Amino acid sequence: MKWKKLGRIFNPTEHKLSKGCKIFAQSPQTIVFDDFVRIFFSTRNIHENGKYLSHVQFVDMDKSLQKLINISKNTVIELGALGTFDEHGIFPMNVLRYGNKILAYTSGWTRRVSVSVDTGIGLAFSNDDGNNFTRVGNGPVLTSSLHEPFLVCDPFVKVYEGIFHMWYIYGTEWQIYSEGSTPERTYKIGHAKSVDGIVWKKDGHSIIENKLDNECQALPTVINIDGSFHMFFCYRDSFGFRETIGRGYRLGYAFSNDGETWIRDDEKGGLSLSKEGWDSEMMCYPHIFKCDEKTYLLYNGNQFGRYGFGVAQLEEL
Amino acid sequence: MFKWKKLGRVFNPTDINDRSWISEFAQAPATLIFDDYVRVYFSCRPKPSEDGQFVSYCAYIDLDKNNLFNIRKIASEPVLLLGNRGTFDEFGTYPISVIRHNNEVYAYYAGWTRCESVPFDTAIGFGKSKNDGKSFSKLGEGPVLSYSLDEPFVISGPKIRNYNGTFYLWYIAGQKWIISEGKPEPVYKIRMASSHDGINWVKVNRNLITDKLGKHEAQASPDVIYKNGKYHMFFCYRQGSDYRRNIERTYKIGYAYSIDMENWIRDDEKAGINISENGWDDEMVAYPHVFELNGKTYMFYLGNEVGRYGFGLAELDGDLV
Repeated sequence: MKWKKLGRIFNPTEHKLSKGCKIFAQSPQTIVFDDFVRIFFSTRNIHENGKYLSHVQFVDMDKSLQKLINISKNTVIELGALGTFDEHGIFPMNVLRYGNKILAYTSGWTRRVSVSVDTGIGLAFSNDDGNNFTRVGNGPVLTSSLHEPFLVCDPFVKVYEGIFHMWYIYGTEWQIYSEGSTPERTYKIGHAKSVDGIVWKKDGHSIIENKLDNECQALPTVINIDGSFHMFFCYRDSFGFRETIGRGYRLGYAFSNDGETWIRDDEKGGLSLSKEGWDSEMMCYPHIFKCDEKTYLLYNGNQFGRYGFGVAQLEEL
Repeated sequence: MFKWKKLGRVFNPTDINDRSWISEFAQAPATLIFDDYVRVYFSCRPKPSEDGQFVSYCAYIDLDKNNLFNIRKIASEPVLLLGNRGTFDEFGTYPISVIRHNNEVYAYYAGWTRCESVPFDTAIGFGKSKNDGKSFSKLGEGPVLSYSLDEPFVISGPKIRNYNGTFYLWYIAGQKWIISEGKPEPVYKIRMASSHDGINWVKVNRNLITDKLGKHEAQASPDVIYKNGKYHMFFCYRQGSDYRRNIERTYKIGYAYSIDMENWIRDDEKAGINISENGWDDEMVAYPHVFELNGKTYMFYLGNEVGRYGFGLAELDGDLV
């Protein structure tokens, strides 16, 4: 695939966001309107104990994706109540139109003691074009199960022929890789189906082949072009990924004819780190979508999107 | 009203000196009946860590079938391992409920993990035994019954039954963490799910037992027994706060009955068992388990401090009608 990088289009440190959020604009995800594109993302403020809380806000861009038109005045969904799965953050949030609503599948974060966090996937909906979302319930719609013991998150949902498909990730282990360091997680991409978007049946296995020995695979995003399925995701080493360039997130790619069996071919995806600039050390949290017959991929750059997101345009399949 | 005759305390974990993992607590008794003995599972704890945190293990004692006060054997090691780092049962397995199925014994238990904003969370795990319940191996590292839209946390207190070839799980689901004296306390209610294989469950998704103490009432240990054309449920309930030692607010034993397992009529007046004037159960009676043996109906239950000093036995005078 041949992509043209259009550069970074939003840097949160240059704008005033609500709830005192100043850094991070992670996992951009879109709803396309007649004359603008609404891009939801997760940004962060600092909790009273010094740890981060992730909140979802949006920006509206014109359809060239170059001009910022509007920034949301508030977060679009409140964090969860005491003890719930999304008490300490929502990141990422996947949005899709369904009927006259916008559905949001949320990755909720809650803090643990022996490990830093656990997550689950929640469901919310909006009747006002995504300005405000209401939870369907206080608990998750997709969570841990016998063979997916923790860290169920990163949903990406599409409806094909009346069936809801969710690509998501689940944790497989928490490991301490060197003495004195904190536990690091490993997660893989899975798939589940649903007839109503609420009750899901997991396939129950990892769907993307590993490339690295200790590989984390995250945030799958899928598009169907002319009957074939294309998936972008990001992957990294399970440890040493924050400080060592080369072990951090890169973009992976897989394709499928039936939406079930995937063939990984990162080279073919055609998106790699830039030589310099905002996406020269890391590329992560891809989101592929169509706008006016063009195909775009939004993604985060260095430091997990601390300084925003950019976009690439598909030139050749 | 049922008439229960208290027969006394059967097991006091603080008497055990040769198993460091049984120091205090013998919680949530559940029986498995053999030809000449009754195996009683319970959850126990070693001494707390330096920072005051407990873990809990599942154990059993074997009681003489003809004299339930005669302890023939005490488990030599926990019947379930704690989970790996980051899993739902890393810090405890409490309570446990068992059932025979084909030539195996199935165990359902609540696994405990520790959280930052609240002290813990739980979900229900599953293990199988091929050695008559001496040890159970887990089918996977995750739970078989976990959180859902309407059951956001604290999925616990499983009681497994099988009627007419279908598995039924009565359990509790958290509804709210309330703050009392600066500390979060969980409110949970009795729920139910059914399954054809014991692994894939369909939840009923509503509270089965009406509140008596208001919306902050916590309900636990939904122990169901079928007799005389009715499903009888003994359970325990407490106030939402200040429930640990204050006898006006501690766990008491309630009762409900049902014809169809889903619609229950609460009738605590009928339960027929309450705290004693003095002794090991003079502050609390909790976590009932009712079973039949030798033509009689018995109840194991916990005493003060939710079984810190063990469980006792009561015998029903009459029948469950």
